[in-house]
Amino acid sequence: MSEPASGRVDVDEIIAEVRERIERKRASGVYGPEVEAALRLPLPGGRPLFVEELGDPVPALRDAIEERVEYDPRSRKPIYGRLITLARRAAIGLVRWWIAAKDERQERIDRLTYRALLDLRDRPSPGFDERLRTLETEWARYRRDLVAADLHSVYFQARFGGEERVIRAQSERFLDLFRGRTRVLDLGSGRGTFLQLMRDNGVGAYGVDLDERMIATARERGLEVVEADGVAHLAGLAERSIDGLYARHLAEHILPGELVRVLRECRRVLAPGSPIVFVTPNPRTLTVGAHTFWMDPGHVRPIPPDLFRFYLEVEGFEGVELVTFEATEGTTLREDVGDEALRGNMRLLNETLFGDRDYAVIGRTP
Amino acid sequence: MTIPKPWRFAGKPTAVHQFHPVLAPGDAMSNHVFALRTRLREWGYASDAFAVEAKPGAPDVLPYRRLFRALRPTDMLLMHFSIGHEVFDQLAKLEARKVLVYHNVTPPEFFTGLNDHAAVHARLGLRQLAGLVPRVGLAVGVSEYDAHDLGEMGFENVVTVPILIDWSAYDVEPDASVLASMTSRRTRILFVGRISPNKRQDDLIRMLAYYRACIDKEAQLFLVGSFRDQPQYHARCLALRDTLGLQADVTFTGPVPMAGLVAYYRRASVFCSLSEHEGFGVPLLEAMRLGLPVVAYDAAAVGETLDGGGVLLARKDLAEAAEVCAAIVEDAALRERLVTAGTRRVRDFASDAVAERTREALGL
Repeated sequence: MSEPASGRVDVDEIIAEVRERIERKRASGVYGPEVEAALRLPLPGGRPLFVEELGDPVPALRDAIEERVEYDPRSRKPIYGRLITLARRAAIGLVRWWIAAKDERQERIDRLTYRALLDLRDRPSPGFDERLRTLETEWARYRRDLVAADLHSVYFQARFGGEERVIRAQSERFLDLFRGRTRVLDLGSGRGTFLQLMRDNGVGAYGVDLDERMIATARERGLEVVEADGVAHLAGLAERSIDGLYARHLAEHILPGELVRVLRECRRVLAPGSPIVFVTPNPRTLTVGAHTFWMDPGHVRPIPPDLFRFYLEVEGFEGVELVTFEATEGTTLREDVGDEALRGNMRLLNETLFGDRDYAVIGRTP
Repeated sequence: MTIPKPWRFAGKPTAVHQFHPVLAPGDAMSNHVFALRTRLREWGYASDAFAVEAKPGAPDVLPYRRLFRALRPTDMLLMHFSIGHEVFDQLAKLEARKVLVYHNVTPPEFFTGLNDHAAVHARLGLRQLAGLVPRVGLAVGVSEYDAHDLGEMGFENVVTVPILIDWSAYDVEPDASVLASMTSRRTRILFVGRISPNKRQDDLIRMLAYYRACIDKEAQLFLVGSFRDQPQYHARCLALRDTLGLQADVTFTGPVPMAGLVAYYRRASVFCSLSEHEGFGVPLLEAMRLGLPVVAYDAAAVGETLDGGGVLLARKDLAEAAEVCAAIVEDAALRERLVTAGTRRVRDFASDAVAERTREALGL
């Protein structure tokens, strides 16, 4: 046990060592049931201490109700003792019926209170349950409405989903990063485009998705996909059990706090030196940020590239970099104008309005 | 400045008296009163200690009834409060500069079902405190914990001043017979404090059972302190000791004079407190002052008084407490560091500094 710089005694360190000692003693049987029983032995000669009963009050209350109050009116004083005893007895005799009536009333109150308490404990208040149910229903509905979860995703995919050819071309950019890996996780694997690419190149990979139809499509192709919530799946993985993570168009579907939780879980479950890649729409391109991003009602909020980079850095990933994709063909402003300054401005305007539609943030676990 | 305005304009008080229902020799609260009286007299104030009951050996205590005749409106009265007493209601009506010195009231829950008399007085105490709010000009908490309680109760003029301890009293030769009586066994665990359910001496006895079974089968426990006030709890602790077969290993010393107390601190291997309620915790400081490492469960004002001067246990786990004691007994370097930390901490309670702080807070 070393002394910390401040010169204070490091209590945490002592406690940690002490807990280890106790564990060893438990394992070896020295600290067995007999010792445990001694540590829990109630104070003999009466009821447990009231402060301890307060920790588990219902059974204690039952015992307390059963308890009788004894009173010995005899006085032990040397000279006046007999007189005092006599006076006490007389006083008790005179008020006996008053005391008895009060006793009876108290008895009734005690029994009723105890009964009511048990009833309440076993059958929680119906009003409360009702309100809680309403709240739960409304909250669940709000979460569904927030992302239009009731829209049929198949129709949606058919109308607005990205072309598989484009997605595959995007994924190829990261092939080298994952080459030679044995257990790469694709969070939100969808139809399995990335998984297919990995398999074609001898990379061990599996996916997680929530959408039954997507999972069925992927499985038809013979790909390994688990039906689960991505965040919950990560939380269930053992430490350092995977060696790569890819998540395309996932980050914009979850709350910022959930994204941070995902990153933390990634730090835990990825082996050292594993790559992680998140691909997400690029809000820096105005037609994306202001328009196409919102074409998917499931998008929660756009993530500016620099913010995403910051998330990774602050959660301890190394070598964090941003990669953008070439703009797809479509509307652009003509740049073939004579004036050089104007040409420059047109190019800038094209980039700002019609630039890269997606970007990727890449990092590695230390 | 916490001194009420009318007091300030009327100048220094004409006398500073103190009251506590019971004053007894060897009791931390009473020692505080006596040490303060000595200082007050040194500062040139007429100062007496009043009590309803003065135990034999308590030096020069006057009956509280004299207060009703002697107290002048310009006198200051320090009402030390640690338990309820009917007299406080009468004192509250007296015309004087009344100061409440709050040592905290042990919550009645500790006594319920065990000592009805104590529970009734603790409850009375809490009620009386509420009644004192408009009646005192200044409320002093002897710890931040107590001061916080005062604030919660509605006292507005609150200040924290620690207990004044006359450390020179501890510079006595340790009692040779006590030294001799403490055997040469390796582990001698000490706790000092009245035998009382809030101090949980029963937990210390259980902890010793673990210690002897899992660490050192010859370990001993010394419980120094009066058991007069809590005969029922004391009897049940004895029964617990006997049930666990620790008759020869747990010693209830009863109250001991200063030389004996110093001997226990000097000869013990570790001071362990599992108390669940302390308004201040003088024995923690005594142990630190006399070079004994401290292990203490963090309850009420304990953490604040210890403040790094020992090992503070955040949770009550008897096995853990025992193992921490063992670590200190076995590791000489750790023991040394704890003693150093304790010595450093106890300097914050140097008699002169605390006396000066008291003087300043009371506007004397």
